[in-house]
Parts: sequence; C-alpha cells; structure tokens
Amino acid sequence: MRRAALALLALVLLGLALYPRVASGYGIRFMLQCFMWIALAQSWNLVSGLTGYVSFGHVAFFGTGAYTAGVLIARHGWPWALACLAGGVGAAGLALLIGYPCLRLRGPYFAIAMLGLNEVMRVCVSYFEGVTGGGLGLSLPTLQASLAIYYAMGLTGALVTLAAHLVVTSRFGLRLMTIREDETAAEALGIPTARYKLAAFLLSAAGPGVVGGLFARDQGYIEPISVFPLATTITMIVMALFGGKGTVWGPVVGAVALFGLEELVWARFLFLHQLLFGAIIVGVVLFVPQGLVGLLRDRFRLPRYV
Amino acid sequence: MSPSATSVTPAMLAQVVVSGLLAGALYAVVALGLALIFGVMRVINIAHGTLLMLGAYVTFWWFHLTGLNPYLSLLASMPLLFLLGLGLQRFLVARVVGAPELSSLLLTFGISIALVNATQLAFTSDLRSVEYLTGSWLLGPLAVSKSRAIAGVVALLLTGLAYGGLRTTRLGKAIRATSERREVAMVCGVDVAKIDLVTFGVASALAAAGGTLVAVMVAIQPEMGQGYTVKSFLVIVLGGAGNYPGALLGGLLLGLVEQLAALFLTAQVSEAVAYVLLVVVLLVRPQGLLGGRST
Amino acid sequence: MSDAAPLLEVRGLVKRFGGVTAVDGASLALAAGRIYGLIGPNGSGKTTLFNCITGIERRDAGEVRLAGRRIDGLAAHRIARLGVGRTFQVIRVFPDLTATENLLAVSWGDEASARRRGRELLGLVGLGRLADEPAGSLSYGQQKLLELARVLMMEPRLILLDEPAAGVNRTLLNDLLDAVRGLRAAGRTVLLVEHDMKVVMAVCEHVFVLDHGETIAEGPPAAIQRNERVIEAYFGR
Repeated sequence: MRRAALALLALVLLGLALYPRVASGYGIRFMLQCFMWIALAQSWNLVSGLTGYVSFGHVAFFGTGAYTAGVLIARHGWPWALACLAGGVGAAGLALLIGYPCLRLRGPYFAIAMLGLNEVMRVCVSYFEGVTGGGLGLSLPTLQASLAIYYAMGLTGALVTLAAHLVVTSRFGLRLMTIREDETAAEALGIPTARYKLAAFLLSAAGPGVVGGLFARDQGYIEPISVFPLATTITMIVMALFGGKGTVWGPVVGAVALFGLEELVWARFLFLHQLLFGAIIVGVVLFVPQGLVGLLRDRFRLPRYV
Repeated sequence: MSPSATSVTPAMLAQVVVSGLLAGALYAVVALGLALIFGVMRVINIAHGTLLMLGAYVTFWWFHLTGLNPYLSLLASMPLLFLLGLGLQRFLVARVVGAPELSSLLLTFGISIALVNATQLAFTSDLRSVEYLTGSWLLGPLAVSKSRAIAGVVALLLTGLAYGGLRTTRLGKAIRATSERREVAMVCGVDVAKIDLVTFGVASALAAAGGTLVAVMVAIQPEMGQGYTVKSFLVIVLGGAGNYPGALLGGLLLGLVEQLAALFLTAQVSEAVAYVLLVVVLLVRPQGLLGGRST
Repeated sequence: MSDAAPLLEVRGLVKRFGGVTAVDGASLALAAGRIYGLIGPNGSGKTTLFNCITGIERRDAGEVRLAGRRIDGLAAHRIARLGVGRTFQVIRVFPDLTATENLLAVSWGDEASARRRGRELLGLVGLGRLADEPAGSLSYGQQKLLELARVLMMEPRLILLDEPAAGVNRTLLNDLLDAVRGLRAAGRTVLLVEHDMKVVMAVCEHVFVLDHGETIAEGPPAAIQRNERVIEAYFGR
C-alpha cells in the first residue's frame, strides 16, 4: 500500500518536472502559483496546524522575504536564487524577533498580537523609504525566468511538504501536537513548550520567505500593498483548513483545490471568491474541522503521515 | 506636523489630552462590546470591527437616503446590528462556545471575511463619507473638532448606560454572574444560552454605535473595521480581560497615548503605536494594568 | 522517619491568589522509596501545593528542595525533567494522540528503546490492545491508566498522584493500588492526594494533613485518624 503511494508520488513529481515541455506560458504560470500556495499553506500548517497557535500575520514573512530578496537583487546585484534563500533567512530572523516574546503569550493573545503584526509591518516598510522605495514600490531589473522560477517554486513546495512529513512522523512533531492538545500538561510532563513553539514558528517562516523572494523576482516589481495583503494570509489559512490542518497532505490538497477553483471559476469575481473563502472557513470550523484529508484519515484510519 | 519636544506648549498638551479622552471614550464603548463577548462566552470576536463597519454603513445610507441628522441613525444602526448579532450568535457562534479557542478564533475570522466581502459586493469598496459636521468648537485656547466631541460624549453616555445596566438590572447581573462563574450561574438557574445570545446582540449594538459615531468623522469603506478590532483588543488587554470598568480606563488610556504619539511622531508611526503597545503590554503585564482574569 | 536526606522537602510554602491565601506556610519532608498521603478538607490547598511543587504555579514564599537542590522558581518542564512526575485531578491525556503517541511524546533518548518501553508500560497497565487508539476514545478508567503509564514513561524519582481514586470503580481501584505499591517496590517515591480515606489507609505509610493551607499534622495513617486536630479540621468543633 505504501509502495504504491510512493510510486504514485514519484510519477506525479516526474510529471510536474516534465510539464514545462508541453505546457503553454499560461500553464507554467498557473502551476508556478499553485506551487507557491502549496508552500504557503503548508508552512502555515507547520505552526498553526500542529501547535494550535493561530498565526494571522503569516503574510509578514512572505513580504519580508520579498523585500529582502528584492533589495538584494535590485540594489546589490545578487543572483536571484541566492537572494531568495536570503529572503527565507530574513523571514526566519523576523520570526525569531517576534516569536521570542510573542510565543510566551497563550493562544488567543498570540493570535491577537499577530493580527497587529501585519499593520506594523506595513507601516515599517513605508517608513524606511530610503532603503525599500517606500510606498512607491521597488523595481527589479527585468529578467525572463518563468521556467526557472517554476522549478524553484516547485522545489520549495516539495521541501516544505517533506519537512511537514518529517516533523509529523517524529517525536518533535508529537511534542508540537501536545502543545495543541494541552499545553500545561505538556509542560508538567517535561516538554519545554516555549522552545518547541519557537522552533515551529521559525520553520514555518522560512518557506514564505523564500517564495516571497521568488514572487518578487517573478513579478519584477513589488510595493507594500502587493506583498503584505491580508488576503494572502486568509488564503493560506483557508487552504490549510479546507484540506486539513495538522495533516501532511491536507494543505497540498487544499491549495490545489482552492487555487484551481479560484483561477478557473472565480478569477473574475474577486470579492465573491473572498466571500466564499470566508464562508468556507465558517463551514469547515463548524462542520469539518479536520478538513478533507483529516476526514479521510478518521474514516479510513490512515496513519499520521498522510 | 511634529514639533520637537521643546516647543510643546501647555495649550498643545491640553489639546492633546482633551482629544485623547474623547477618542478614548469611543474606543471604550466599542471595546466594551468585545469585553462582554469574551467575558461571557470566552469567545474572541475577530469580527467585532466588521460589526462597527456595518454600523457605519447604516449611518451612511441613512444620511444618504433621508438626509436626516446622522446621529439619529443610532436608532437604526444599534437595533439592526443587535439583530444581526443575535443571528450570528444563534446560528454560528453558539456552536463554538466551550470549544477550544482555536475554533472561535477561526470562526469569527471567517465571519469577518465573509461580511467584509459581502459588503464589498453590495456597496463596492469606494470610499464613502458623511458630510454633516465640520469644524471645531472653541473653548478658550482649545479647539475641539465637533464630530469628535459629539462622538466622545455620546460614547461616554452609552458606556455609562451600559455600566448602569450591568450593575442594576437583572439582566446585567445575570451577565456578570455568567462571566464570573458560568457553571455556578447555570446551577443558579441562569439561562446561559439566552445570556450568550443577548450579550452578543448588545455587544454588536455597541460596536454599531461606534460605527455610527465614527462614520461622521472618517472615510467609510469595507475594510475599515480591522484596525478597530485590534485596538479593542488593546483596550481590553490594557484594562484587564473580564474587567468591564477596565474597558473604559483602557480606552481612555489608548486615546491619550495615540494623541500624544501623534504630537511627537509622524502620523504613520503613531498608527503603529497602538499595535506595538499591544505587544508590549501583553508581554509585560498580560493581566492588564488594572488586573483582571487571564484566559 | 528514616535518617537519610529527604528526597523532597517543602518549607514554609506560601501561595496567594488575590486576597485568598491558598497555601499558608505548608511544610513537609519525604524520604525516598515510600508512599505518602496528603489529605485535608476541601479547599485546604492540596492541589495548589502540588502545583507549586511541580512549578505550574509560582510560589510567593518558601522553598522546595528535591534531593537537596532548590527547585522552586524553576520552569515546570525543568522540574519534570529533574524527576518529578504527576497526574492530574481532571484527566489530561492528549486526546488526539494515540496511547502510544501519548507515551512517546514525553520520552527522551533513543526512540527505538522508547517505543519498547512504551509497549511494556502499556502492557503493564493492561492497555496493550489499545496502543493505537486515540486517547480521547478511551474510557475514563482506561485514560486514568494511560495517565499513569505516561507519568512512568518519564522515569520519575517522585510521583505526585492527584486523586487517583476519583471516579474509579472497585476493580480498577485495586489495579491502581497494586500499581502504586509496585512503584514503591521499584524504589520510587509516591505522594498522593486523596479524599477517599480507605485508599489512604490501605496504601500510605505516612500521611500529611493540610488545613487552610497549613500542615496541621503528620504521621502514620492510624495515628492521624485519631488525631484531634485532624478531626476538628474535617468535622468542625
């Protein structure tokens, strides 16, 4: 059973790797964005799905990655691959800075603090006008690199999912889950919850940081409103919830399904599809809190790495 | 315009204090609603600012369609949002009372998004405004913006009424009892489901009142609510969760701090002050300046 | 009392909540390898004392020493790693995790040997068949046993049991008591809080009595039963 699944996975990955040969420009861009959402939803899942600490400000890491990479490419001439990795590091650094104090707060207070984080980020970016180009945005030297970005995004999405798999099947992951289940009991039983929360938080920031950088490179131009929109956080959360938070493949399923629907059905109706996202969140929380994959897991008693 | 520290006159300071207190009263009445919801149901209502926004739109349409004094629209916005609050509680929020906090956080988040986008669909995201009251009243050396003054006074009145109700009426006592010891209140015959319902309705009405008062002062658009949600949380955190009088003091304090910051820093940065203050207070004294209950 | 240095020493512990003083200068000393009881009327501060010892609550004054070393003021997880394990009055297993995962989550060191130990412990408490069931789906009694297995997984020197007999039927109670005696045989020290006097009499060698946050008496169970102050505390004058 497991062999068959692995074989299928390998086939899919191979297919995705070869896809650009037969695809149109639109097809490549579609998949590229799909990979990005997989990376984002999965990253959110790493912290919020496992520890139960809801991060409402996760787009801050995306935006930080975008600006870090953007500045390095535009002002310092770094090669974009390296700059994007630096974006991931920058995002992790921000996570450390925020997480160290904020994760000491219990769940709801942490969520509130993260809500405010977004606003602070937007203000900061505008404030440091000299460095970033402020409210006017930042332009990157033009480069046609859709294909390379396709592979880079795909690789990032795959790595984040792999990370999720490794975490969920390890004792580290179990300990993260005890934080969600009963943090006080976990502490009383010897688990240093503060340290673990921080580790998960850092891990969950790296992915968005890297794809933020890739996004910046891909778009060629970024401004505060394009890289720190609340809509990005909302979408990340909806995808992870819908697919199944706390599972490995849930965020992947959620990202593919909802992005697919968005592009193919709702693209013209921005507010309608955001409205639907809100309704989906409400519906999932009330009726299917474990998400699609979670439902399958419960129904068919599937193991944790699903 | 941010003067340096040395050029601040007593008059300017007095100006700031008055503006701050008036703004703070408005924050307080909105935050009181949030505090009630949290106190009674232990639910974090992320959609609170969205309810305020809806109140503001009621006022806009009232004024746009009838031309009557927009402050009278309190008679419309408060009851309408009260009913909406009842509906939200009855069909959605009630299901997550008692569930892990994660559920209520995500649920109210989803409700907020749905409502904001429904508003955008219905009314577009064009900025609206209620041009009714401009200019300031002069009290000696102080100039007080008229709309801000009215907002502050009305907010104080509503807050006072709310506190009075909480202390003296049977409903108010039942609400307080449910906040403090839910199980005990149940055993003593309090219909907690009904209390939950009414509390959410009242809280929504208070948010709507805030929306009405604000509508006369600022641009109205569907996303205007989020800032108020976060500031309401800050007020509660300052005053202590579950500490209803603390909401008033917390609100006044926030108003003062914001106006002071605006005096010395740029407008943009003073916006961020509230959020930074939130994190700082949460870290340093999570039980609030007046001390309250922790979650 | 033995003359070896005590495993756990609590001196003059004070804990206040707002205007209420829950623990008011309680003191006790536990020698290693014995079973102790902590009793007292409702509201006497027993669970609060537990919480202070295990670091879940910060004490306001007083000392707690484990094998001579001060542990008051340390974070709860450090105290646990130093060898103090506890169960809870209200069961707190991790409901979404399986029984095995509940044990693995609190284990350290080599994973393979941890898994083996986990299997052994589950077998010991009779939950072998339910190893892969989510803990939340177990019955009340089974969850109690799981909590015990979980605390044993930490290999603690001192085990604090908070009302182990609460809500438990006759048969299970006997199993639990046998398990407790087995702990003593294995060299561990047990301190249990209990309301059920029969349990205390049956299994404890030495009993401390708490009233209004103070230790008012201590001694062998039989002596405590006849102690006037204790009787007063429970039944009033």
